Amino acid sequence: MKRLVDGLRTYLIAWAILSWAILSSAVRAVPAAAPSPAAADPAVAEPAVAQSIGVIARVGPSGSGSGEARAARDALAQHGAEILPPLLVAMDTRNVVAANWYRTVFDEIVLREGERDGVARLRPYWEAYAGDARRAGRPRRLALTLIERDEPGFTATWIAGRLGDPEFGYEAVAHALSTGEQALRDKDTEQAKRAFRQAFDFARDGVQVAQAAARLKSQGESVDPVKHLGLVVDWRLVGPFDAPAKTGFARPFPPEQHGEPEQRVDLGATYAGKEGKPIAWTRHQADDALGQLNLIKALGTFREAVAYAYAEIEVPEARSAQLRCGADDNCTVWLNGQKIFGRDQWLNGTRFDRFITPITLSAGRNRLLVKICQGPQHRDPEVPNPWSLQLRLCDAEGRGIEFRSLAPEQEAARAP
Amino acid sequence: MRRSLFNGRSPTQVIMPIATLVRSVLPLLFVSAMALRAQAENWPGWRGPGRSGVTTDTGVPTTWSATEQVAWKTPLPGTGISNPVVWEDRVFITAAEGRDQGELHVLCLDRDSGRILWHRRLWGTAPTVFFYPKSGLASPSPVTDGRRLWAFFGTGDLFCFDLDGGLLWQRALADEYGPFENRFAAASSPLLFRDTVILQCDHYGASYVPAIDGATGANRWKSDRPEAWLSWSSPQLIAVGDRFELLLSGSEKLDGYDPADGRRLWTVRGLQRECVPTPVVGDGVVFVVSGPNGDHLAVKPGGSGDVTDTHVVWRNGRGTSFVPSPIVVGERYYLADDRGIVSCLATSDGELLWRKRLEGKFTASPVAAEGRLYFTNETGTTFVLDAEAAEYRELARNEIGEDVYASPAISQGRMFVRTTKHLICLGAK
Repeated sequence: MKRLVDGLRTYLIAWAILSWAILSSAVRAVPAAAPSPAAADPAVAEPAVAQSIGVIARVGPSGSGSGEARAARDALAQHGAEILPPLLVAMDTRNVVAANWYRTVFDEIVLREGERDGVARLRPYWEAYAGDARRAGRPRRLALTLIERDEPGFTATWIAGRLGDPEFGYEAVAHALSTGEQALRDKDTEQAKRAFRQAFDFARDGVQVAQAAARLKSQGESVDPVKHLGLVVDWRLVGPFDAPAKTGFARPFPPEQHGEPEQRVDLGATYAGKEGKPIAWTRHQADDALGQLNLIKALGTFREAVAYAYAEIEVPEARSAQLRCGADDNCTVWLNGQKIFGRDQWLNGTRFDRFITPITLSAGRNRLLVKICQGPQHRDPEVPNPWSLQLRLCDAEGRGIEFRSLAPEQEAARAP
Repeated sequence: MRRSLFNGRSPTQVIMPIATLVRSVLPLLFVSAMALRAQAENWPGWRGPGRSGVTTDTGVPTTWSATEQVAWKTPLPGTGISNPVVWEDRVFITAAEGRDQGELHVLCLDRDSGRILWHRRLWGTAPTVFFYPKSGLASPSPVTDGRRLWAFFGTGDLFCFDLDGGLLWQRALADEYGPFENRFAAASSPLLFRDTVILQCDHYGASYVPAIDGATGANRWKSDRPEAWLSWSSPQLIAVGDRFELLLSGSEKLDGYDPADGRRLWTVRGLQRECVPTPVVGDGVVFVVSGPNGDHLAVKPGGSGDVTDTHVVWRNGRGTSFVPSPIVVGERYYLADDRGIVSCLATSDGELLWRKRLEGKFTASPVAAEGRLYFTNETGTTFVLDAEAAEYRELARNEIGEDVYASPAISQGRMFVRTTKHLICLGAK
């Protein structure tokens, strides 16, 4: 009898520990980065729901845990609209595979419960969630679709007021631009200017910035897209170096062999370029509206070549930022002597914000060195073979940071 | 002579020798036979039976318009050029939308009414604003074996569903092996080989080809292709004796692999650096095209190592396409290039039999049924040509009234045309 009691006690303790472990794991799996948008928090899941949510949270990109996720998903689908808020919160995760599993449940419940008013009565929650910019964009948009079901046309109006929102900002700027266009058609130039100015101020996308700037210019207002986006346009260039058969990316040429991080690029140096011709650093200003540097225009038409671009910029204090770049064919970037980016790709096309790298700028002078490769010509001579670079410095939201371009030649002249 | 390579059957039916079939799948022989018989009327994936574009279905319409012969017309969300997939009474199609194409759609429609039976909305793990506007990130066509549906997207996500829309598993290849870096993201349609799903993942980054267990989503094998550059072509299969070879076109070459274990067997050099068309197979020969300004090549499979000098049957450098795939009907090989010039070559020696400029530009690949070829241009005009005539012979010219970039599907006497707005079923109501 004692053995039976002991055994039962051991079993109960083990069961309690196991239950606690599972439940706490499940609750941890529900992201809690932001406070619940509702006063009475409907996002708090009951233990069984939290447990199933936790099981799904463990699926991986390789499909591992799919069987368990399917069972948990089917269990969740037995519930009603009351679990939609915790599912929405669970979708605020970097694990997109798990988010998709949650979404299959979410959509099923919405489809089933929508006709019973179970979804519409949670509208305050959906509205608060959609408006919470700290949340991930995917579930915010999902919440918005539920309001749209209830009130067709809500989304378009609501998004128009989301200028600066990390998820909806692009669409809000697009709305401001179309408002400006409509005002122009209505011959209300003041309203048009206000709308285009608003679009410009909040635009982070190159096309939108250029569009707003062009419209403002047509109305007699001058803005500076280069400064707005933090584009680096004042470069010193040297090239072409000979780099046959796409060897340029891997092969170091003299400008990047500048040794210790503090050693500066020697802008007075002369190198042997293609066909042994001497090449030297020269200054070029990107004159494209969005700061794209055309190396063919600057250096000439070459194939299977490498060029280097060098710039110095000054910021008042040390800060984190993003370096966003694109190049045709590819680029490698050194900041203050440290390699921070390089992608061995060819035929990229120079696309705005194609690559994004987090960086830390030092207080004062910062040195940027960029290697830009040019690949072979397509066998069809009519196929264009551009050679270009676009590079900017911005914050995490894409707003250009303030910096001052320096003239490195003057600094070199002052150096002992 | 009217015949097609697969005669409406799957490549498995046509080219798997009985001895191998018995040895490898004896326990499932009865089930397989039933499934294969049903498959004869289906369009199970990219370009239908054998990825050939050819079916032996009968009763397929020759003439139609935006209002005539339209059995049904259902609006589609987003964009995509994946072709519809038809299995018995269900039609499956994929789409993507959103500024970064992160919103993915998999839909199942009733074949007879066009009613949406289920619609799964999913998120892509690696969406991108750098997609091709005509296709979005829903370029790859889904594939089904009648029990499961596999849908692949340019985001690098492979989803497996049961035919009632229940999610079974998802692979996020971009998370596992890096995002797709080939300008327009992944576009290769998955290939079903026995119980594995094979994907051609050629891009600027680390290229590879995996064979994924269709039931579990686990890798059966994965072969890295470090030398491969970028491609949007889809894999193909060919029978060689009592085994199969997997054909991958891209990066200036055609590779033959063993689809059972992922070993590369042979290579033919001489393609363009960017390949979109899918190779087609006829009479034991592979027809591969890369362009524009590349070559059509007819290649004998079954070699070892670099077989460029020994296995190229013929090569023709005129009239190649960038996007549309070729089609083989009988002893003739047809291809419409992107500018709308159709070339007809003899499969035996590559001799040009005729050439004709149609109207408009072409993205869709042709399909064929009942001795007729269907070439659809980007503005939705389908040129119906006589595949039995020795010369160019136009049977009909049909306007659907909407732009078309996707290749059509044919199943059970009906044609399914994906326009930029709708999925349209043509044929008797």
